[in-house]
Amino acid sequence: MAPAFSEGHVEADGFRIRYMEAGEGTPLVHFHGAGGLRLTPAHDLLRRRFRVVAFEMPGFGASPDNTRTRSMPELASTMATAATQLGLARFNLMGTSFGAKTALWLALQAPERVLALVLEAPAAIRPEGGEPPSGSPEEMARRLHAHPERLAPIPAPDPAIRAKTAPLVLRLRGPNRDPDLESRLPGLSTQTLVLFGTVDGVIPPEMGRVYKELMPNCHLVLVYDAAHAISSDRPEAFAEVVEDFLERHEAFIISRAETVIHP
Amino acid sequence: MAGAAVRGGWTGPPPLAYDRRVMKVSFFETGRYASPRTLPPEWPMPPGAYDREAGAQAYQRMIQRIEYVEEIGFDWVSVSEHHYSARILTPAPIVSASFIAARVQKIKIALLGPIVPYSNPVRVAEELAMLDTLAQGRLVVGLLRGTSNESLTYDLNPQEARERTDEGMELILRAWTEPQPFGWQGRHFRYRTVSIWPRPLQQPHPPTYALGTSRESCEFAARHRLGCGVSYGSFEAVGRATRYYREQCARHGWQPAPEQIIYRANMLLADTDEEAQELLRRQPDQAPFTMRAGVREALMKLDARNIAGQARSPIVTGALPTTFIGSPDTVVEQVRRCREEVGAGVLDLSLQMPGASDPDCLMRSLELFGRKVLPRIRDI
Repeated sequence: MAPAFSEGHVEADGFRIRYMEAGEGTPLVHFHGAGGLRLTPAHDLLRRRFRVVAFEMPGFGASPDNTRTRSMPELASTMATAATQLGLARFNLMGTSFGAKTALWLALQAPERVLALVLEAPAAIRPEGGEPPSGSPEEMARRLHAHPERLAPIPAPDPAIRAKTAPLVLRLRGPNRDPDLESRLPGLSTQTLVLFGTVDGVIPPEMGRVYKELMPNCHLVLVYDAAHAISSDRPEAFAEVVEDFLERHEAFIISRAETVIHP
Repeated sequence: MAGAAVRGGWTGPPPLAYDRRVMKVSFFETGRYASPRTLPPEWPMPPGAYDREAGAQAYQRMIQRIEYVEEIGFDWVSVSEHHYSARILTPAPIVSASFIAARVQKIKIALLGPIVPYSNPVRVAEELAMLDTLAQGRLVVGLLRGTSNESLTYDLNPQEARERTDEGMELILRAWTEPQPFGWQGRHFRYRTVSIWPRPLQQPHPPTYALGTSRESCEFAARHRLGCGVSYGSFEAVGRATRYYREQCARHGWQPAPEQIIYRANMLLADTDEEAQELLRRQPDQAPFTMRAGVREALMKLDARNIAGQARSPIVTGALPTTFIGSPDTVVEQVRRCREEVGAGVLDLSLQMPGASDPDCLMRSLELFGRKVLPRIRDI
């Protein structure tokens, strides 16, 4: 998978942060979901147009236990520093699920640095009452993936990693409806694309409309027949609309598809 | 939004309120065209064989008939979409449904339905929402893939029809219920902006059915809490589909009301069983849409169809069966058996086969049905 990506490490706020990088052009920074960093075919498609930098946030994957970061805004600040260390002054920013909330906070803290935002199945706003679904690894795989034949679900996480990341996610993800975040979103004018899969089994795709209601420059796209892991289930569909949006922002709604059959 | 089924284990959709006791009856209106000349038994029929006077009269009588159907007490009148043929003269069912809705007051208008795979689903959602509102919430919707020949109408690859149907149906439901503009990144459809006005008057949307006996159609209906509509097969054959549909509904944690199963069928009714059999002998005995042999054989290979997962021929080669036939007593008994074996709470009836062109005979059957059958099947 994606042999073009090379691994690197960067220091920020005392953390040694791993990242995967490939491609040239405008930078596209990516923050992963609660399951940790995993490259998908969508990364591979996007690196043809962008300089893709996919970070592994401190405490995830093989990185040391992170007991220091107390809140999502704090994590966002650390990640902004990591980007600075790599020389990324201004960049497109993409966040997946849990990482979408990190991305939103980074955009709120440093709007001048973010060219445009992409939120893949964001978990920053969740239905009130109830808890995000949990279950056996098999059940969670079904909720995450509608098409495991495209990219197989991650094998059940190593219990050691799980013991480390579960409390971190619980601590940082915040309440289902987070007034601290939501009260700031109407003031965030960054061009934003929110994507939900129509068969998302983790966050109801109906949550997409809340971002659109709150944010002045938000565009909602439903990806048909994709579950929570949109970029694994339908990587081509995901990458096409993300690329188009990052290139043209709100003008991406103007079709460029050609319909001439013969001259 | 009550209508949007929220997934992910957070909350379930609202319960449905249907009357569980009453058998509903629908009249399948096909725009009976009485041709002054013998028509070539071939699909497509050449447009030059069309008679404008006969066409105008067919639509005029259609309205008279529906006014009568409403007076007798039918619950619904249904229209369907078929092309390039005199057999069913409603290629644009949204047009006939709208015209009918303006001419009758109480009866529900069942548009069964737009052929989804070669439609623009957003346009379909808009038209149906508009009609539901114009008709004061009297719209019932059936969505379907269409018969094999219809893929030739607008040059649709028959092998893509199933997937396009599923995706199109899902997009229609989403367009009706999503309160914010959205983009659709599909496999077969792509729209950057969907944001329909008006929205349906009925909330979250008009009663909607996935029409067809296939496993895919039944599963789609169960997953989206839609009704299921089957047609023309024997009670045994369509019963397999409706049983499969109910099993799938149970798997998704709900139970459909009888009104959520429609059975469309031919009925031949007469004073006596013998007379009814005589009517049957006088019906046209040909396949609904006869294509050239080379086309038919090629389509047979390309187009896969099934009843609850069991393969069936994609093309009907003989006349469609008449599953209700006889005197009022006999037909009432058949309806009772149908309710038991098919579980249908809505009968969508052609009282005479589509394509039969004796409108007076049809009116006599309707009269008899209203007097001798309808009052006796309500509580079945």
